[in-house]
Amino acid sequence: MDSQIKKIHQQLVSKQITCTALVQEKLDLLKQNTYNSVNSLLDTLALELAAKVDAKIAKGETIGLLEGIPFGIKDVYMLQGTYATASSELLKKYKSPYTATAIQKLLDAGAIPLVKENCDSFGHGSSSENTIFGAVKNAIDPTLVAGGSSGGSAVNVAKEYTVFSIGGDTGGSIRQPAGYNHIYGFKPTYGRISRFGLMAYASSTDCVGPLAKSIEDIRIVLNVMSGKDPKDQTSVASTEISEDAIATSAVKTIGYFKNFIESDAIDNQIKADFLTTIEKLKAKGIAVAALDFFKSDILVSTYYTLAMAETASNLSRLDGTNYGNRIEAENLIETYAVTRSENFSEETKRRIVGGNQVLSQGFSDEIYLKGLALRDQISENFSKDFEEVDIILSPVTPSTPPKIGDSLKDPLAMYLSDAYTVGFSLGQLPTLTVPQGTSTGLQITAAKNNDELVLQFANFLKDTI
Amino acid sequence: MNKTMTVDILSSIKGAQPSESVNQLFDVIKNAIPTNNNAANNVNHNCVSVNDLREDVVIESSVMEKQLIIENFPNKKNGFLVVAKVIEG
Repeated sequence: MDSQIKKIHQQLVSKQITCTALVQEKLDLLKQNTYNSVNSLLDTLALELAAKVDAKIAKGETIGLLEGIPFGIKDVYMLQGTYATASSELLKKYKSPYTATAIQKLLDAGAIPLVKENCDSFGHGSSSENTIFGAVKNAIDPTLVAGGSSGGSAVNVAKEYTVFSIGGDTGGSIRQPAGYNHIYGFKPTYGRISRFGLMAYASSTDCVGPLAKSIEDIRIVLNVMSGKDPKDQTSVASTEISEDAIATSAVKTIGYFKNFIESDAIDNQIKADFLTTIEKLKAKGIAVAALDFFKSDILVSTYYTLAMAETASNLSRLDGTNYGNRIEAENLIETYAVTRSENFSEETKRRIVGGNQVLSQGFSDEIYLKGLALRDQISENFSKDFEEVDIILSPVTPSTPPKIGDSLKDPLAMYLSDAYTVGFSLGQLPTLTVPQGTSTGLQITAAKNNDELVLQFANFLKDTI
Repeated sequence: MNKTMTVDILSSIKGAQPSESVNQLFDVIKNAIPTNNNAANNVNHNCVSVNDLREDVVIESSVMEKQLIIENFPNKKNGFLVVAKVIEG
C-alpha cells in the first residue's frame, strides 16, 4: 500500500476533505468498533485540533505533511491531561501530568491524537488479553487474539481507524501484533526515540515505534520522533532517513537462523512459506547464509529474566502513595501490599514476583548475572553475524495467532511464543515486521543504528515477493 | 540482621508465590553455560559518560502539571491531600 499520510495530506490541501470531517469519521469508527481496541477517546482535543487545521487551510496557509493526520497512542504513554491507564486497575483514573517526548514531537508536527489504545497491562503479555478493558480481537479473525502487547494499536491501524499508531516494543510488542494483523510495525534501534513519558517496563529494551500500513508512513513517523533527548540519557542522535535513501536496495547478503526454522515448535506452513521466500531471494541474486544462533529457550529465558528483574524494580513505585487506586489498610506496609495485590493483574504479579526472585540474594549470581552475561554473548553473536550479512530475515512468530482465552491458561506457552522477537530486543537492533512472506509476516533486522537499511530492504522485499 | 525476606514481602504482594512457569524459564538460565561470565564486559554501551551528563537544572512545573499531580492524589479531605496511615499502633 502507498503512503496514507501523503494521500490524506493531498486531500486536505486540495480541500477534497476537511480535517474535522476526517477526524469525526475516525472517531465514529473507533467509538462503534467491537474489537476492544479503545481505552479512551480523545474526541474533544482531536476536534479542537482539527478545527485549527481547517482554519489554516481556509486561510491559504501551508500545512506540514503530518498536520491533521489522525493517530493512535498505546495507553502506556503520557499525553498531558488525558488518561494513561496502562490497561490496569491501579491506574484506571490516572491522568498524565505531562507529555511524552515522542508524542510531543508528533503534536508539534501537527498530527492529531484520537485514542489511547488497549494493550496488555504495563506491556505484560503477548496477546492483549491481560487488560481491564477486555481482550483485543484480531482484525482479520475476531475469534483470535490481536497479539500484544500493542494489540489495540495494531488493530486500529489494520482497520484504518487510525492512520498510524504509536506502540511500545520491549520483547516484540510492536512486531508480533503487526504480524498478527498484517501491517507494518517497527522497533527502531534502542535509543533512537526517547523513552521519556513511556511507562517503563524493562528499561534496557523498551523502544518506542510506529505501526502503519506502508513503509513510507513508517519512515515519515520515525523521522519525526527520532533524536537525542536530554530527558532520556540513553537516547542517541540519528540522521533523518530520506525517501531516496530507501528507494533502491544495496543489500547483497542476507542470513537466517537455522535453528528458528529447524525447530519442532514452528508451524509447518510458516516454515514452508519462509523457505519459499528465501528461494525467491536467491533467485533475485541475493546470497543467503544459514546462521547458527542461540536456542530459543535460552533467548526467551534470558529475555524474561532481565525483563522481570527490571519490571519488578520499575513497578515498585506503584504503591498508591502519590497516585493510583490506593486501598487503605491498618498501616503503611499493609496499604502498599493490599493496594498492589488488589490492583495488579495475575500476569503482572507473576512478573514482579519473578523479578524479585532473581534479584534476591542467593539467586542473583545464579540467574540474573548469568542472564546479563548471556545477553552480552547474544549481542556479540549479532555483531559477528553482521560482519558476514547485511540483513537477517526471520519469521515473526513460530505459530499463527491463538484463540482468545488460550494464552492466559498457559503462561509458559505464551512466553515461548516470543522466541523469534526477543533476541533482537536483547541485541537492541532495528527490526521491522512486514506483512509478507508468512501468514504472520517477516522480520527484517539490520545492525545497530542501521535502521535505514531495514526500510530499504523492506521496499525491495515489497516488490520482490 | 539475618531476616529472610520472602517474595511476597519483597514484592509487596500478599500471598505471592513463585510461579512454576517462570521457574521453568529460570531453570534454563541456571543450566546454561555462558562462555563469558563477565557481565561488566557489556557490548551495548548505554551508560552515559560523566562528561556527557545533562545540566542539573530545576525546571518549574507548569500550573497544569501541578494541578494534574494534585488531581491524581488518591485521597483528599477538607482541601488537604491525605497520605496513608504511617504510624503503626
